[in-house]
Amino acid sequence: MSARENKDTTYKIQVMRDILAKKLTRSVVGSLVACVHCGMCNEACHYVLTHPDEPKMTPSFKADQLRKLFKYNYDWTGRVIPWWVGAKEPLSDADLEALKDIAFGTCTNCRRCTLNCPMGVDTATLNRIMRGLLSAVGVMPEGVRVVSKDQWEVGNQMGVLKEDYLETLDWMSEELVNEVGDESARIPIDKPGTEVMYTINPREAKYDPRTIAAAAKIFWAAGESWTMPSEGWDQTNFGLFSGDDQLGGASARRVYEKMKELGAKRLVISECGHGYRSTRCEGPNWVGIDQDWEMESSVFTMLRYLQEGRIRVDRNKLDRRTTYHDSCNLARSCGITEEPRELLRMVSNDFVEMVPNRAENFCCTGGGGAMSMSEYTPRRLKSAKVKADQIAATGAKIVVTSCHNCVDGLSDLIKHYKLGCEVKQLVELVADALVIEDCAVMRKSKAVVEMPKPALPLHGRRILVVDDEPDVRVFLRTVLEDAGAEIYEAPDGDHALAMARKHKPDLITLDLSMEGKDGVSTFAELRSDAEIAGIPVCIVTGHPEFRELIYQRAVPVPDGYMDKPVKDAELVDNLHRILGLAEHHKAPD
Amino acid sequence: MAERKVGDKIIKVIRGDITDLPVEAFVYDITADCKLSSGYGGAIASRGGKAIQDELATFGTLATGEATVTSGGNLKAKLIIHVNGPKFHEPDTKVKLARTVQSALRQADENGITVVAFPPIGAGLYQVPLDLSAKVIVDTVSEHLKNSTTIKEVLLVAFDAREYKPFEVAINGGN
Repeated sequence: MSARENKDTTYKIQVMRDILAKKLTRSVVGSLVACVHCGMCNEACHYVLTHPDEPKMTPSFKADQLRKLFKYNYDWTGRVIPWWVGAKEPLSDADLEALKDIAFGTCTNCRRCTLNCPMGVDTATLNRIMRGLLSAVGVMPEGVRVVSKDQWEVGNQMGVLKEDYLETLDWMSEELVNEVGDESARIPIDKPGTEVMYTINPREAKYDPRTIAAAAKIFWAAGESWTMPSEGWDQTNFGLFSGDDQLGGASARRVYEKMKELGAKRLVISECGHGYRSTRCEGPNWVGIDQDWEMESSVFTMLRYLQEGRIRVDRNKLDRRTTYHDSCNLARSCGITEEPRELLRMVSNDFVEMVPNRAENFCCTGGGGAMSMSEYTPRRLKSAKVKADQIAATGAKIVVTSCHNCVDGLSDLIKHYKLGCEVKQLVELVADALVIEDCAVMRKSKAVVEMPKPALPLHGRRILVVDDEPDVRVFLRTVLEDAGAEIYEAPDGDHALAMARKHKPDLITLDLSMEGKDGVSTFAELRSDAEIAGIPVCIVTGHPEFRELIYQRAVPVPDGYMDKPVKDAELVDNLHRILGLAEHHKAPD
Repeated sequence: MAERKVGDKIIKVIRGDITDLPVEAFVYDITADCKLSSGYGGAIASRGGKAIQDELATFGTLATGEATVTSGGNLKAKLIIHVNGPKFHEPDTKVKLARTVQSALRQADENGITVVAFPPIGAGLYQVPLDLSAKVIVDTVSEHLKNSTTIKEVLLVAFDAREYKPFEVAINGGN
């Protein structure tokens, strides 16, 4: 230890140094050294937008706190020219408290700044590391301490005791059995060898078990072989928020071990942004294991049931305007943007997009554990103005989201800003829209559940391929013809519109960046011409950044999106799915 | 089930929720302010009732390494031995942890306990490495059982498989 380090070091700072050393992967160091303080991230941050006079709200300032520590201890610039590069360490408990306020109280780790950084700096990851360093020495908001301790010792982050959890499931079973008049609708617990093991957010068991009943109703209606576990049922993971990878691993491992024990084939994760990210994406890394079962969000499960005809819904049951709020963890971190919308359109006649949306959507402001840190509530609600304005502009009466954290964050800001709408999840809307007499459970026979598949997935379909690159058109034509489709081709927007009007194809694949009339203008014209407006369109583009332009148009959004280069099977599957959905939409009319 | 015999006494590793065990006493790792807080503390408060926190309030504070006893309220356990173990990487964690376990065992003896249950003290939120916690507890308990004591059985209670393994390794002489 050098003389410099001896001077002001306490054991806490030494612990933080040691842990930071283990975190310095190539990507982390890249983010630590790559920031040029250009300020691009500022416009992306809801804290900056609502606190324009506070430089401490800027993402780069927040990340700089870790940079100082890194440079002071591990980067040569900090050793040679510390005064120039700002190399510095916290010197006292007061310094640590100040860092706590920054890392926990001014950032929800929503990753919007990360996505908008031209240098690829992952500020959210740096902030999470700082949280982890502080948590390791016991410096954290009381709410984080309470929730983490619950998850460590009781097995779920809301401290729901096993007997209370099981009693809640029993209660929901009774309600459901009474509602549908079928004893087999009871929620199975620890049933071995099922197709599905369903996990939840403890908020469902503790505060709003209606979503458990709604999911149970859907599983029952679909005739699914499923179970809920008596332990390892908490898919959420406060380790993601506190920065404690040990907690992250311990929590994920409990779920995985229960899956192994019960021998279920698929883990279905209820609508929860950070729960999905933790269990599906981060968990295997924290635990350090591979697993041989599928893991999916219940959004995918519900969509699949509809596509397979296992359940049927009537979207006319919902008569209020809806909009969709993208959870940061689902959309920005896990790329789930289209499936929730497909599902929502199936149960809502009046759906409008929130702008901006998808990966560019703003945080609900309750993410990153913010709802558990009551000391920061005034600041959180002030930062929620951005989100409140987004919601108000839609005129929606129901804000739909696939995340429990978002449900709480949005409900809080809706109340605070008096927006006069409510928050619901897809599982509730789908359960409410079920047409039970047309669901698998009423058909009794598994055989009629499975829809007969044509020999070729696109047999008899007429598809217009629009792309200015001949090679791409040849590729698309070859793949789609092999799948049974009849193909028309257009090299630009004008030809595409003419051919669409002439041939009325079943579907159009549309490039965005083209010579002459581009894809965005072509799409807007397509959707504005009543004669061809109903033809499903799948965007196939090498410029995903142009998607935003599509959503700024006041026309119904495309039916699908694919980024180039596309893979044969994915292309066919996607188009097959879009065509199936289009028929589903037509059916009730 | 992993176990170790020390004379006519026995140490066993089991899986379960320590606050829901039908034992004479179990150990709870509390903070210096003697507040039950969340986690096992929340479970104790919820299952055991308000009386336990009321009893704790009469003690004031508890220094690191020390232990005190309350009733089990409505819990299945008769007594709870509250210890204040080392937390968050504080210096001399190993020594302090051993002293904490000794304090708990002394309280068990003073209250005539024959069966006492231990969690992996300090592991989890408080960041004491699980391997270290398991080894120190097994070594300290084993040493204590060699002497005159009212204790006949010590249960090492793992909440999940992750906690079970280090106890098993330690009790089999590894680690």
